Amino acid sequence: MPAKVYDVLIVGSGHSGGMAANILTKEGVECLMLNAGPEPEFEHNRVTKATYDLPFHGFGQPGRLPHVFQANEFNANQWVDEKEVPYTHDPANPYNWVRVRLVGGRSLFWARQSFRLSDYEFKAGDLEGTGQNWPISLADLDPYYSRVEGIFRVMGRKEGWPEFPDGNFVEMQTGPDSQTIAKMAELGKQRHGMKFSKMRSSLGQNGLASSVNLLLPDAMATGKLQMVSNAIVREITTDKNTGKANGAYIVDRHSRREMQVKARAVVVAAGCLESTRLLMNSGLCNSSGVLGHYLHDQIYGVQVVASVPEARDGKRPEGLMGGSAFVPRFRNLTKDDKRNFIKGYCVLLSSGQGANPDFFAEYGDALQKKLDHYAGSCVSGSIFGERPARFENHVSINKNVTDAWGIPVLHIEVKDGPNELNMAKDAADTIEDIFHTAGWDLISKTDRFYPPGYSIHEVGTCRMGDNPKTSVLNKWNQSHDIQNLFVVDGAAFVTCGWQNPTMTILSLSMRASEYLAGEMKKGNIG
Amino acid sequence: MKRRRFFKTLAALPVAPALIAQAQSPAPQTPAAQPPAGGRGGGGGRSGGSNIPTFDETSPELVADAEPRFFTPAQFSALRRLSALLMPPLDGSPGALECGAPEFLDFLIGASLPDRQKLYRSGLDTLNANAKKSFKKAFADLSDADADTVVRPLLVPVAWFHDSPKDPAVQFVVEAHRDIRTATQNSREWATAGAASGRRRGGGGGGAYLNPIDPIYRS
Repeated sequence: MPAKVYDVLIVGSGHSGGMAANILTKEGVECLMLNAGPEPEFEHNRVTKATYDLPFHGFGQPGRLPHVFQANEFNANQWVDEKEVPYTHDPANPYNWVRVRLVGGRSLFWARQSFRLSDYEFKAGDLEGTGQNWPISLADLDPYYSRVEGIFRVMGRKEGWPEFPDGNFVEMQTGPDSQTIAKMAELGKQRHGMKFSKMRSSLGQNGLASSVNLLLPDAMATGKLQMVSNAIVREITTDKNTGKANGAYIVDRHSRREMQVKARAVVVAAGCLESTRLLMNSGLCNSSGVLGHYLHDQIYGVQVVASVPEARDGKRPEGLMGGSAFVPRFRNLTKDDKRNFIKGYCVLLSSGQGANPDFFAEYGDALQKKLDHYAGSCVSGSIFGERPARFENHVSINKNVTDAWGIPVLHIEVKDGPNELNMAKDAADTIEDIFHTAGWDLISKTDRFYPPGYSIHEVGTCRMGDNPKTSVLNKWNQSHDIQNLFVVDGAAFVTCGWQNPTMTILSLSMRASEYLAGEMKKGNIG
Repeated sequence: MKRRRFFKTLAALPVAPALIAQAQSPAPQTPAAQPPAGGRGGGGGRSGGSNIPTFDETSPELVADAEPRFFTPAQFSALRRLSALLMPPLDGSPGALECGAPEFLDFLIGASLPDRQKLYRSGLDTLNANAKKSFKKAFADLSDADADTVVRPLLVPVAWFHDSPKDPAVQFVVEAHRDIRTATQNSREWATAGAASGRRRGGGGGGAYLNPIDPIYRS
């Protein structure tokens, strides 16, 4: 019996695929969603264990997930097995590709920090003179951001700052700041032009803000969505006569049996690098030569810790310590701000924690006395900094290595440059300056940061743009080359900003999916 | 009507032979032996479903000794001495030796990648060499004060977890110190002592162990 031809094939079920399914099915479009992994049956597959009952006592199995610094022995099974789906890189230039292959993808485990990009990012090319603008502005995405924020119940404090756009927020109830946070705000403003706000994050429903509880249930309820788990997409197929996408070859995760599915349009939402790998393995969407290029994310790791003398030895005067603050990007907001780096970083500040044993060249009783002395007296600052998108930071297919299903893997070539190093140094020096001026003693400072990819905010590789010669997708996340193929995840980004990309990915997917549904209704696609 | 009755009879057929057999021969006095659950034919229906008994089991660590297998005797003695020095019993909490940290690390490092194995082996050899040079003794035989003289120059503060000191002996002490603390604080003995005293000091605990992905078939 010939397989049914669906209206739209959706590859991936995370935030971007979930949103595509949610929008398309509500518009009456029949969708088939393929998931590379199984459904996460948490009720059956989660048990409470003591650390000492784990085989490696919490250290984790040595060498199992060398690129996933976020992994521990409790959660090791939730990440993609690096032996099943390997990738390659020059050992001198490591890249941390952190993946989840479960229904819901990484939306099951994200940190829920929820920001909009601003026109400082959408139109960064104008500010920096590089020409690297998005083909859209904040005004284009604003209505979609608002709807996404409503679904995800983003809690935040409205500020009215253009570099930190407000949204459709659940109002945040906050008490007065502790004296240490207030002091940081005073000095940060005076000495560095910082503006102090609070973290914005998705509340979701019942403690979960994921595709699986906020997007997919409504799509299933329409009766227009078929989901298939454990179906790995090997190649997108095209019609020989028209060149249009018409389905995909899929491989069963368990049996490795290969089959073919058919659709009138294809939405690729497998996560930035898996989407790009699929397009490359299919030999599609690269008339520009830009596919796989401009891979970038954010730098994490910079950290400064100081101790407040009045709070040591267990003395914590009322109101002195505690709480946190969030400082959105404050560097390079004008052309006059001349620094040895472009773009900027946000700062996360907190008060009231202890010190790390690594900070002291002590052991035994002396170390314990140090830890007790500093307990609760520390303040700390860290950053998320934007890595510039560079053409030379790219991925390609390594035909010599295949995954457990015989599919060629990615080779990733990404190097940090002086911009990242200078930005990190500026951030560490700036935070130290605030702590030092406040009269707090520096305990530890590092301007080092994790390898690229660590932030799990990888974007680019299918960048959008108006010019088909310099971009892979148009402003609707639609392939310039294949009219009925869309890529709706972070691969479409032109610049990542300092912000967690999730709200932008969701809004772009919503916008692209409504456009696709409209074009299908008009008969222009499908 | 006749046709409908015919189909009804067909539907009942699979059960009928058993009923006939039971009617024709007397019931056995003793029940027939049952095949073991989970045997040929799947056994799912014979396993008793949710009635399978469960038992309180113990851990091998509570009933078995772990002999060191990876380090040489000289290296393992140095590791024990280093563990006792860096993580002694403190203020009611057991120390690294009481928590079996050196024995666990012998297993862990033995299961680790070659770079880490080399770091540990050469690091412990360096402690022994330096002890011999300064005190003409193995590191394991040094007093606390003399062991401190050997270890102190190799102790450095580390601002960031992933910073690696260039000197391999310094790097060894940084990592071994971290590992000895973690192995101690994640041990059953540490948790038991914490529960008995009603306070917790770092590490240990537990969490939700997640296993959502059934493994693939490997050829």
